[in-house]
Amino acid sequence: MTSPAAHLSAVRVPKWAFAVALLGLIVTYLVLQENGLALGASSELLHEFFHDGRHALGVPCH
Amino acid sequence: MTTYKSLALRGIAAGGIAGVASALVQLLVTEIPIRAALAVEEAREPAGDGHSHGGEELVSRGGQVVGGMLAVVIVGIAVGLVFATAYALSKRWFADRSPFSRSFALGAAVFGAVALLPWLKYPANPPAVGDPETVNYRTALYLGVVAAGLVIVWGASWLAERLQAQTQPVRVTAVLLAVAAAVAVVLVAFPAPPDTIPADMPVNVLWQFRLSSLAQLATLYVGLGVVFGLLIDPATRRNKASEKAAVA
Repeated sequence: MTSPAAHLSAVRVPKWAFAVALLGLIVTYLVLQENGLALGASSELLHEFFHDGRHALGVPCH
Repeated sequence: MTTYKSLALRGIAAGGIAGVASALVQLLVTEIPIRAALAVEEAREPAGDGHSHGGEELVSRGGQVVGGMLAVVIVGIAVGLVFATAYALSKRWFADRSPFSRSFALGAAVFGAVALLPWLKYPANPPAVGDPETVNYRTALYLGVVAAGLVIVWGASWLAERLQAQTQPVRVTAVLLAVAAAVAVVLVAFPAPPDTIPADMPVNVLWQFRLSSLAQLATLYVGLGVVFGLLIDPATRRNKASEKAAVA
């Protein structure tokens, strides 16, 4: 079948898909928000390295 | 037959492409007001606020420019994965449209929810603006608006389905009114941004930065919806071989 609805219902989402989506959110957090909560001391290096991107994407910063 | 895995791989590809496009906007557009803001910050350096951007810092300015672009590409890929998962789960989101239209509309809606709405309430600030004391409070407010925006998108989709029996003009008008009312409630209910803009920050630098940031966010999220739509829509595929090429 070529109708969009048939195309849609063909997608079966496995359980591990939620783990994949969570991984995406965690990576986003680490890049944009990591202020030392998860990575401790090494976070400041990460924070400074990603600095311009965080400002540019409108995330609150220092 | 579409599998979740094929959608996820296309989400990564689309996110990477949109991320690179957004990173180029950052390099060519957003970096201009960032440089101007850093000059403002440097001018008041002797005071020393503990957060160094110039002089003896951990990462050089060149490193920050490259790292900032890398951050946008990584976020693009990560958001692409989440986007593909949401797309795979969304059964009722514009269910009667083509995959391209569904993806484009989802990208535009995500832009509205996680970029435009927070931008309206808490506009992006360049370096040299922002009190380190309030960063956790501001982050909580920001994430609260993002969550509210996603709830509004989900609610609009739910309402549209509930009004299926109505004619299309009535349904669209009702959903638009409901979204406008919900956005107004969010903008009024959330507290004002806690930080004042320092007097030494030129207003044109501030707004050039804010508009650049918005352009960059639109490139990222709308670009993601468009590229993902191009990659998943059967109408853009000529044959099985080109489908394989799109996944690889």
